[in-house]
Amino acid sequence: MSALPAQSPCRHCGAAVEADAPKGAVYCCSGCELAAAIVDGAGLEAYYAGRSKPAPRPEGPARGLDQLHVETDAAGLCHATLRLDGLRCASCVWLTERVIEGRPGVKAVQVSYATGRTRLSFDGAVTDLTQILSPVAALGYRPQALSSAPVADRDLLIRLGVAIFAATNVMMLSVSVYLGWWQGMEERFATLFRWATLALATPATLWSATSFFRAAWVGVRHKSLSMDLPVSIGVALLYGHGLLATFAGQDGYLDSLTMLIALLLAGRVLEQRGRQGALAAAQALAATAPRVARRIEGDRIVDIDPKDLDVGDLIEVAAGEELSADAVVVSGTASVAMALLTGESEPVAVLPESAVVAGALVQEGALRCRVTAVGGETLLQRLARGLAEATDRHVEPGPIDRIAPLFTAGTLLAAAGTFVGWWLHGGLAAAIPPTVAVLVVACPCALALAQPLAVAAGLGASARRGLLFRSGDALRALAQIDTVALDKTGTATGGRPVVVLADDATLRIAAGIERGSIHPIARAIVEEASRRGLPIPMGRLLQEVPGVGITGEVDGTVYTIARGGPGTVEVRGVGTITLRDTLRQDAAATIADLRAAGARVVLLTGDHGDVARRVAWSAGIDHVVADQRPDDKARWIAAARAEGHRVLFVGDGLNDGPALRAADVGLAMGSGAPSTMMAADAVVAGEGLGPILSGLRAARAAERAIRGNLRRSVIYNILAVCAAAAGLINPLVAAVLMPLSSGLVIWGALGVERALSEKR
Amino acid sequence: MNAVFFLLPVALGLGALFAGLFLRAVRAGQFEDLDDPPERMLRD
Repeated sequence: MSALPAQSPCRHCGAAVEADAPKGAVYCCSGCELAAAIVDGAGLEAYYAGRSKPAPRPEGPARGLDQLHVETDAAGLCHATLRLDGLRCASCVWLTERVIEGRPGVKAVQVSYATGRTRLSFDGAVTDLTQILSPVAALGYRPQALSSAPVADRDLLIRLGVAIFAATNVMMLSVSVYLGWWQGMEERFATLFRWATLALATPATLWSATSFFRAAWVGVRHKSLSMDLPVSIGVALLYGHGLLATFAGQDGYLDSLTMLIALLLAGRVLEQRGRQGALAAAQALAATAPRVARRIEGDRIVDIDPKDLDVGDLIEVAAGEELSADAVVVSGTASVAMALLTGESEPVAVLPESAVVAGALVQEGALRCRVTAVGGETLLQRLARGLAEATDRHVEPGPIDRIAPLFTAGTLLAAAGTFVGWWLHGGLAAAIPPTVAVLVVACPCALALAQPLAVAAGLGASARRGLLFRSGDALRALAQIDTVALDKTGTATGGRPVVVLADDATLRIAAGIERGSIHPIARAIVEEASRRGLPIPMGRLLQEVPGVGITGEVDGTVYTIARGGPGTVEVRGVGTITLRDTLRQDAAATIADLRAAGARVVLLTGDHGDVARRVAWSAGIDHVVADQRPDDKARWIAAARAEGHRVLFVGDGLNDGPALRAADVGLAMGSGAPSTMMAADAVVAGEGLGPILSGLRAARAAERAIRGNLRRSVIYNILAVCAAAAGLINPLVAAVLMPLSSGLVIWGALGVERALSEKR
Repeated sequence: MNAVFFLLPVALGLGALFAGLFLRAVRAGQFEDLDDPPERMLRD
């Protein structure tokens, strides 16, 4: 008897073509056949030749496209921005763009590979989003509403543009005016230049700089004084003085003013870019939700929105699809990846009566399942909710914000002192110019730039090395860390234990009970049983206590599976199974570097002491805290913090939520559960622990830059105020000194990337 | 030197023109994605 000739994989999605399909079939399903027809019909066969990864498998019609936000401009052209999920390689971008371009009425389309952000313009009278995007959806790509709007960024950029326009032109005018001091200038030209300067400085102050005024006002109302207040006072004073000086026919400080507004806004734009880039990347890592469910109604299968599913519904899930609800398998077998919950990308085998959870991805085979929980009641959503609560951390104000009130008070005191001193010395007329000069040069623009620029540089530097921060505050908190607590499974190790020793009878019973479990150990047991070709009995899981063990029933007998001795799992009364976990490749090197950087590294794990110690020994960790349940981890961290340590916790699974929240900084492995990522302060993108070290270095370099900047700008301000009080500052000196101090601060912030590059 | 009275508004007008062009570019979203276009060129 000859074996069936192997069918070649599906031409479109690369999945295996069913063995019972007609000989010579090139597609695995009608969806792929349709998708290929679209590609071929549009003359885009080059896609199949050029791609580096197979296409996603089509999932039926796209839904909710009519609810996406569409803006119509004055010319009647419609614009929409959305996210396209399922882009796997550059060829996907090429293909989707060509397909969308080919639709009638489409004027322009641009797809970003990194984020999936897609911008569309089309003629609203000819077509709509549903018509445009249906073929893309039929190809297997999923159009989505974009979660964050880019409006704020654009507004800030335009404000910056106006400020730079004003600053550069004012500079040109001012140089002429200052040259006039020496070479002589007809008064009518000087007057013209002064008024032109005022005309340019007005939009820069009254429009571009309003965000500072607003932020200062919010700070005052909430009684938390930030650097925005002294900046606003400085800007208002500079502009007010310039206005009066222009009317009086004198030179003001408007050139310094416009320059400073432009520099401050540039700093803010850089900061926002860095933060948004990291956030978008983290969101892209975590973005996953099923788009369509197929409900079995009698002998028909109906596509419905997952929201419309009810408990008790019978659904069908095929390869390439995600489950949209928690369910129990009724018939069929499949290998399912539960990466969402366990961080494991390796699939696990499921059989009838196995429990499957929402978000799990079916990789091979097909299942019919009975829904057990929907929407917010699914395990995924419940855990995500738990993590989302109380993720807001209290962050200490930075050194810059702490000195803001002091700074304001000091400036006012210095101004008052100057005024009184000159008044007593030379009368009222002599007192006013130096007092104004004091207030003007004290404008803490360099101080206000010091922190955001260094933080932006730190965020960018660590993002380029694989650590994505969700906020600048987390970066600053990371700089203070002296203790690094690592979760073992999935963090220090790859999280894929393998069975090294077990007898068949024990393995059979354990596999029968744990067949539906998504725990890495359970999966290792089931995989080993399958590998040995053992028939896995239809067990039933009775109770699971995370971190302790489970009870279940096989062949009518109730067994308890619990942690046994080191590295073993014990089926009470039957036998034990020995497992081994494998360390991440760069773990030892990274941990050595972390310790060299002065951090105490602790392995915080739910595993038994001996196993944990063995892993710790090979990773070079000398401090092990074993036998920790999820709550114990959080308690241990809280205790360490109470002793004055600053703790970084790195974890990957949903059970690490409490510890992530308890730590000063919580880091999630990018391979872990998306909801864990949403609870963490930063996400490690990519493999390995290396990015943690880079992040720590970037954070410390940024903190050093902040402190250096702080020193430089305080020294500048003290010197400048003294000079102003002595009557040495005039508009020209200010125009040179003030941007110079800001330049020093920018140079300091650039040092962050420099410091990291040198270490590499 | 009286030309200044004419040239200054011209210079500012030119500046304003470029500021306006920048504004249009921002509104058209040219600054939203600075990473992809360089790669796109290689792909096409």
